Amino acid sequence: MKRNTLAHSLFALISATALAATAHAADIKIGVAEALSGGAAQYGISIRHGFELAADEINAAGGVNGNKLQLIIEDDQGKKEEAINVFKKLIFQDQVLMVFGPTLSNSAQAADPIAQAAKTVAFGTSNTADGITSIGDYVFRNSVTEADVLPETLRVAVKHAHIRKVAVMYGNDDVFTKSGYDNFVKALEHAKIPVTTTETFAKGDVDFKAQLTKIKATHPDAIVLSALLAEGAPIMVQARQLGITVPFIGGNGMNSVKVFDLAKGASDGLYVGSPWSASNESPENVKFIKAFEAKFKTQPDQFAAQSYDGMHIMVQALKTIKLGGNLAAERSALRDALPSVKWTGATGAFQFHRATDKAGKPAGYDAQQTAIVSVTKDGKFVIEK
Amino acid sequence: MLAQQLVNALSLGCVYALFALGFTLIFGVLGVINLSHGAVFMVGAYAAEQAVSHLGLPLWGALIVAFAFSGVLGLVIDLLVLRPLRARNAPHLIPMIATIGVGIILTNAIQGIFGAQNIRFPEQLVSNRTISVEGIDVTALELGIILLSFMLMALLLLALKKTQLGRALRAIAESPRAAYLLGINVEGLFYLTSFVAAGLGGIAGVLIGLYSNALFPLMGKSMLEKGIAVIILGGMGDMRGALIGGLFLGLAEVLSVAYVGSSMRDAVAFGLLFLILLIRPRGLFGTLMERKV
Amino acid sequence: MTVAWFGTFWDVYSNLVLSVGTNALLALSIWLTLACGMLSIANAAFMAIGAYASALLTLNFGWPFPVALAAGMAAPALMAFLIGRPTLRLSGVYLAMATLAFGEVVRIVLLNTDRVTGGALGLNGIPQLTRWWHVALALAVTLAVLWRMRRSRIGRAFEAIKEDETAAGLMGIDVAGYKMLAFVLGAAIAGLAGALNAHLTFFIGPGEYGFDRAVEILTMAILGGIGSLTGPVVGAVILTLLPELLRALQNFRLVFNGLILVLIVLFLPRGIWDTERLRRWAGIVRRQA
Repeated sequence: MKRNTLAHSLFALISATALAATAHAADIKIGVAEALSGGAAQYGISIRHGFELAADEINAAGGVNGNKLQLIIEDDQGKKEEAINVFKKLIFQDQVLMVFGPTLSNSAQAADPIAQAAKTVAFGTSNTADGITSIGDYVFRNSVTEADVLPETLRVAVKHAHIRKVAVMYGNDDVFTKSGYDNFVKALEHAKIPVTTTETFAKGDVDFKAQLTKIKATHPDAIVLSALLAEGAPIMVQARQLGITVPFIGGNGMNSVKVFDLAKGASDGLYVGSPWSASNESPENVKFIKAFEAKFKTQPDQFAAQSYDGMHIMVQALKTIKLGGNLAAERSALRDALPSVKWTGATGAFQFHRATDKAGKPAGYDAQQTAIVSVTKDGKFVIEK
Repeated sequence: MLAQQLVNALSLGCVYALFALGFTLIFGVLGVINLSHGAVFMVGAYAAEQAVSHLGLPLWGALIVAFAFSGVLGLVIDLLVLRPLRARNAPHLIPMIATIGVGIILTNAIQGIFGAQNIRFPEQLVSNRTISVEGIDVTALELGIILLSFMLMALLLLALKKTQLGRALRAIAESPRAAYLLGINVEGLFYLTSFVAAGLGGIAGVLIGLYSNALFPLMGKSMLEKGIAVIILGGMGDMRGALIGGLFLGLAEVLSVAYVGSSMRDAVAFGLLFLILLIRPRGLFGTLMERKV
Repeated sequence: MTVAWFGTFWDVYSNLVLSVGTNALLALSIWLTLACGMLSIANAAFMAIGAYASALLTLNFGWPFPVALAAGMAAPALMAFLIGRPTLRLSGVYLAMATLAFGEVVRIVLLNTDRVTGGALGLNGIPQLTRWWHVALALAVTLAVLWRMRRSRIGRAFEAIKEDETAAGLMGIDVAGYKMLAFVLGAAIAGLAGALNAHLTFFIGPGEYGFDRAVEILTMAILGGIGSLTGPVVGAVILTLLPELLRALQNFRLVFNGLILVLIVLFLPRGIWDTERLRRWAGIVRRQA
């Protein structure tokens, strides 16, 4: 293990030096616009790590047809104005080939139209809200929307935990958790599972006992929870303190190994579904987790896995196009090559499927992947089928 | 269910009161709405977390570290930022804006050093045993927070009422100029107030960090907004107001979750605040207690 | 050559430049109430009302942009008129807190009326109708109106109320009426800024109009200095550009943002645009010449 780490740092060092030495015109400039400060930074920084890891691997293996990837990373602060500014800087000033990001769905709603108008690919790895890919045909994402995942999570949880009625709890001031909630409601309606009560909370809350006390009184068989970890973990802890023992069914936001630390002693019985699981032992995922831990000395999460895969997916398309012409031609060539990419990475088998805009016309591209459902048990995610 | 909700309201109210103590002390004595208090609160929690995970200190040690670290930080803020503004008699808006800047500096410095992700205190630091009486569940930590809020409040009030120092502080709160003419060391007491208020913020940071199981750079932000509501409800600058305002806000929030609906919780709380200001401009209990501090 | 350079510059920074314009409008909107001695921080909420009202009209009903802009000014002005009567009796910090609470209520109502406003998801796909000259014109007209007003009876009344409310009342000035005028006009300007901004960024959501925005608007005005109309505009320019200029500092850039804010407050007591200091400097230069 120790030698492995050393080898990796050496590797990183060499590739960094190589990058510095060969920073000439043949470098392929890739824009990365993520929230590196402010409230969304905890996701943005994780995403950035995923990109850096993938780019280092690709460059260490000789780059793309001999050309090195050069990441130009900018902070969008998780704000829509900043996301627009950063997209414009990357596209018009830095003349990047394409842009990854932004971190938040709200920022994507504001910034992706800029990329669309400039005929430059905008590739989101963490935007899950409905409607983002309907902005136009230059908008791609490999983040699976909750609409695709939640029905499967619900099916598995119902099968294993004998659920007949549920209580619902969600953060109503956040795009991620609100759109998760909307999709849970659809999935519950579809599965004909009655809801005993629906409770909300806000970002930054520290106390959830009023809502949980109300939920407890309705005797649900499970609590459906659309929350980010910051609130989700304390909710689980406080529920157990109030003697609520039923399982939780969580959205994407709860799919992180940090739940075992942040909800220590109360982390059992949480069902989550996602294409990526820390416990998935596919060779691609094992390799990703090992490399990530070696490079950043911390465990990866779903955000890192998706950005890592996103970079690899983009590079598959990049390999097939001819570079060295004018930038506009390269940008549209990349856009034309992306939809047919098929790739198996840390998040499993991946391909794009076409989304439609409001009028029903074909627009951008969403991810098509299968969800893995797992349940927490003794500090581990256990995969259930 | 109502009994459990009332207990929930009591503990939430004390969480708010704990935060509002230092906030209201600074406003009462210095007349400054210190918008860096949320950041000082957060820094205290991080300092304690570092001390606990590197030195293995127990809870009381963590509280002392947080008090000392935040306290010194508060003193430094006073010396570098608030004192020069006092010296030139800046209108009260100016220090408020300066403290916004201080808050930005602290929050982003902590994020730069420790990252933006949540961290937490080791679980063995405090017992998370639940005590159940007649179907009402309350944790040891909640009982501790309730007890400590009342104790700190009593201690502060006693100190203000019975000691020489307290009398001097009350004189300053009435009129710093008059206090100065009476031969009171006004500047020295301002430093002391900044130190103690920030230290109390640090203690609140540790306890609330334990309560919610999460420390993150922006943890002070929503507490600050609630803290503002608390000191208005309680009558601004009134020490007892911190506790009464905290309890009132806790009760309003919990009852609106229980009987109105949780998505309207903050609308009820802030709507009430708005109405109370219109009807009783000095805060709900402001006129009841004429004396400040 | 120059044209090409400008083209690239405009491609990259057009949004930033227009943000400076809308932020200047916001700073002027709060300047108006400050000039009348009132610390009202409901401007973020008025901005929200203006943004939502206009965006809903263009998005759902396809109303022409000028009409939507007018509605974006009228809706917050009406709201200000309704809450103004009871609210403006408060003074000092109490008025600040009441307006802050009002702002929170507006934000939560936007979150909860999700059938109309989209809740936390906000409104998407707002047509990008704002052109650079819209912002320039709005700013120019606002500045002209306010400049004219300062030199009129109204401006003198504001000044008197700011100095001493009771004395102004005794002098026969309609204190409540002038305060209401400042409050309603301020709300309309904030609404205009909101409407212009909404049609610039494709998207609006309730999170943008919270406590942070309220404080940011106040900071722009105070930082620039409220002794003149130039002050708030200068404050808006600096606060909008600062994070961009500090981009090179990477991880710790917002630390410097905060530091610069503190330093300005400490060393430039009347804000950056302090007419007296500028005159003094000009005097020194003249004497030397």
